[in-house]
Amino acid sequence: MRSISDRLICVEPMTSITLNTTREDHRIAWFTALAVVIHVAEGALPSPLPGVKPGLANVVTIAVLLLYGWRLAAWVALLRVIIGSIVVGTFLSPTFMLSFAGAGAAALALAAASQLPGRGFGPIGFSLLASLSHMAAQFWVAYVLFIPHPGLLALLPVLLSVATLTGLINGMITIWMLKAVYANRS
Amino acid sequence: MTRADVILLLLTLLTLPLVYNHYWGERGAGANAVVAVADSQPATISLNDDRRIDVNGARGTSVIEVHGGAVRFVDSPCNSKQCIHAGWLRLSGDFAACLPNKVSVLITGNQRRFDAINF
Repeated sequence: MRSISDRLICVEPMTSITLNTTREDHRIAWFTALAVVIHVAEGALPSPLPGVKPGLANVVTIAVLLLYGWRLAAWVALLRVIIGSIVVGTFLSPTFMLSFAGAGAAALALAAASQLPGRGFGPIGFSLLASLSHMAAQFWVAYVLFIPHPGLLALLPVLLSVATLTGLINGMITIWMLKAVYANRS
Repeated sequence: MTRADVILLLLTLLTLPLVYNHYWGERGAGANAVVAVADSQPATISLNDDRRIDVNGARGTSVIEVHGGAVRFVDSPCNSKQCIHAGWLRLSGDFAACLPNKVSVLITGNQRRFDAINF
């Protein structure tokens, strides 16, 4: 008679799955983790208006864009929204749809803008573009899907002003962050 | 800042006042007025024909006047006469109501289906 513990040991050996990860995958994972932390921490801040928040997690997206290109930046931006919403508990809710639409639009705009020839955009330009397209897409989804009322349009100028301001501030933070990154590298 | 940054920032700052002007500027004149009495279907009246309409509300008869593309309460069986003091309603979105008599008037421009959807 074999004891129970023997039998437990004798069950099929655990099949292990090995994922071959590239250096790029690790970068995406680390930066996404950083962005998710900022995203969730920022969610705890009080907001004066629905849809208004600093969007500090975008600093990570812009930094990744400038350091490693738009593909990585798009991964980080979209994964941040998905994982961030799972952490906060809003996955697939209207809130999620708004931020997913915003992050998607921002990623598209950044991908297009990074193709500019010459020096192209710097941190401030990318950040401003991302925040404006994020706000525009988010507002459009809110208007079309949730509140198709002309009264909502009265909010648009205010929201775009806020997006301009936060875009500028985030761009400056990105410059400051990249300086620290480059100082560490050399 | 690169040149592209400066151009984008200037474009944004120039466009913002236009956005304010567009969404906060003058509203268009309304085409219809929706007259609603509690517990019954709201009726839509055109602002093109000048006339007086008697509306039977909860307390009595409210008199609504349509004149030159605008509408107003002329008389209502209430104490404070807030609806009458609201004056002429002309622009899309303008609203006046006599709460005691449960009569309201809303100017509408474009068609709309919902006030809001919530989850």
